[in-house]
Amino acid sequence: MDTFLQLTASGIALGSVYAMVALGFVLVFKSTDVLNFAHGEFLMLGSFLALTFLVEWNLNIVFAIVAIAFIVAALGVALHYGIMKPLVGQPLFSVVLVTIGIAIVIRAFLLMTYGPLERGRILALPQGQLDIGNLVIPYVDIILFLVSSAAVVIFYIFFKSTTIGLQMRAVAENLEAAAAMGVSPNKVFAVSWGIGALMAGVAGVMYGNFTAVIDLNLAAIGLRAFPAAMIGGLDSVEGAILGGLIVGVSEQLAAGYFGGDFRDVVAFGLMFVVLMVRPYGFFGTKDLIRV
Amino acid sequence: MAVQILNESTEPTPGLLDVNNLEVVYNDSVVALRGVSITVPEGGFVSVLGTNGAGKTTLIRAITSLLFVHKGKIRDGEIELRGKRIAGSDSAKIVKAGICQVPEGRMLFPSLTVEENLRIGSSSRRNRAEINSDIERMFDLFPQIASRRKDVAGWLSGGEQQMVAVGRALMARPALLICDELSLGLAPQIVHTLFELLKQINQDEGTSILLIEQNARMALQYSKYAYILETGRVVLDGPSDVLESNEDVQEFYLGGAGEAAEAYATIKHYKKRKRWLL
Ligand SMILES: Nc1ncnc2c1ncn2[C@@H]1O[C@H](COP(=O)(O)OP(=O)(O)O)[C@@H](O)[C@H]1O
Ligand SMILES: [Mg+2]
Repeated sequence: MDTFLQLTASGIALGSVYAMVALGFVLVFKSTDVLNFAHGEFLMLGSFLALTFLVEWNLNIVFAIVAIAFIVAALGVALHYGIMKPLVGQPLFSVVLVTIGIAIVIRAFLLMTYGPLERGRILALPQGQLDIGNLVIPYVDIILFLVSSAAVVIFYIFFKSTTIGLQMRAVAENLEAAAAMGVSPNKVFAVSWGIGALMAGVAGVMYGNFTAVIDLNLAAIGLRAFPAAMIGGLDSVEGAILGGLIVGVSEQLAAGYFGGDFRDVVAFGLMFVVLMVRPYGFFGTKDLIRV
Repeated sequence: MAVQILNESTEPTPGLLDVNNLEVVYNDSVVALRGVSITVPEGGFVSVLGTNGAGKTTLIRAITSLLFVHKGKIRDGEIELRGKRIAGSDSAKIVKAGICQVPEGRMLFPSLTVEENLRIGSSSRRNRAEINSDIERMFDLFPQIASRRKDVAGWLSGGEQQMVAVGRALMARPALLICDELSLGLAPQIVHTLFELLKQINQDEGTSILLIEQNARMALQYSKYAYILETGRVVLDGPSDVLESNEDVQEFYLGGAGEAAEAYATIKHYKKRKRWLL
């Protein structure tokens, strides 16, 4: 029982990061219909920038998070206007391939800048731990959970109660009708790409404080957004949050009980099971193939 | 009589909206409009009539720059709003410039609330206080939807949804309101209410109205000038009351020629005759 609670607690911390990553992934898909396979690279970029800001330059962590959020969001907006916008009207498949191209470029940039060697994890957060009975919860986990939750909650309020959030929901529902009412789809797309990238980038900073090593395999964590999003429903913001938590907790449990090799098996195995029972995930509505 | 209708002197003077010689194609292949010209004068109430597939909705998409959604393109011609060329500019800019529509099939956002649907209509505006007071104004205008403001729009009846769609377009405070098949699928009583409201908006606020209709009787009754569109061409236009008493129009559009096949045969004959008259 203690092991179970212990694993669940760290699963929730990890899952909250996944929720944030999945949220960004889902947001871009929901607004623009694009499955962004560079999402993991956005996350990785966040982690590496955190290395520079926190380890090399020793900057304040709050400042670093804000600065990295800003940089990655700007990159997302730039990608929209520079690459995705000219591709409007192209088949979904070609656009998805382009995102894979973007992923490769970011990866190459990181390889050239930081080299192929792995780095140790970032120690910018308080390293102590909280003891509750037999339960040991590192401060890092708590902070991870708090920051991710704050990001998710802030986004949720933004999405539900601001004008631009309303416009994002309208465009996701009926692009033509939204455009007919004077909403600028491009502005909405750009904001979605910006926020999507921001979520991944900030998650990258947080994960850099959690993982054992930082290297070019980190993008795989971004791909965890995929099962999380599929489980929750690809076009559901609520689903992404739930899916992220489910994947995080089951992954930690599987790793704890059966060994680390089971992480991927559980995340993707769970996805297959959910998709067999509910093809659109728990909250999803939208088919991947649209005409 | 028919010759008189087509006489140059009955053409309205250039006005709020001028469409000149518009040619539209879909997928670079299907020609949907072939040289269409229409004018909506400042404060005017104009209708465009025509059977299914005539190109009415295409005309609206061209005016509001929404052809891109349907892989359509303007191949030739001009669209001017108060003398300024607007063809091909951003759809958001066109709404801002004063044209907003009630789209065919309403196109509400079904999972957004009634109030959120109305608010989206104000996307081209900035002043929050004014927007909020306009939302209340819409609920005064349509008391039936006032009690449903927090309900999701998808739950409303067809008539209520159409009211939200009209209110949503009015939230843009348009100089020109375009309604595409407002009457389609609605009970006569609701259609009457909506048309009366359009008349009131047109008279009291000077909002110009462009009505797209298959229901020729209603449209001719409320509009002052009308165009008849067939397979992408304007085949007839004139003051609505003159068109209403025109025998061809009476026979083919007001006579309840319901069967499509019959209507098609007669229209062909009609067009030939018109060309000969010209
Ligand atoms: N998205 C589209 N792609 C190809 N052709 C279209 C499209 N929309 C309409 N059309 C064609 O353009 C013509 C005019 O259609 P439309 O403007 O919808 O007519 P109306 O509104 O008068 O019923 C029709 O022949 C129709 O088949
Ligand atoms: Mg139509």
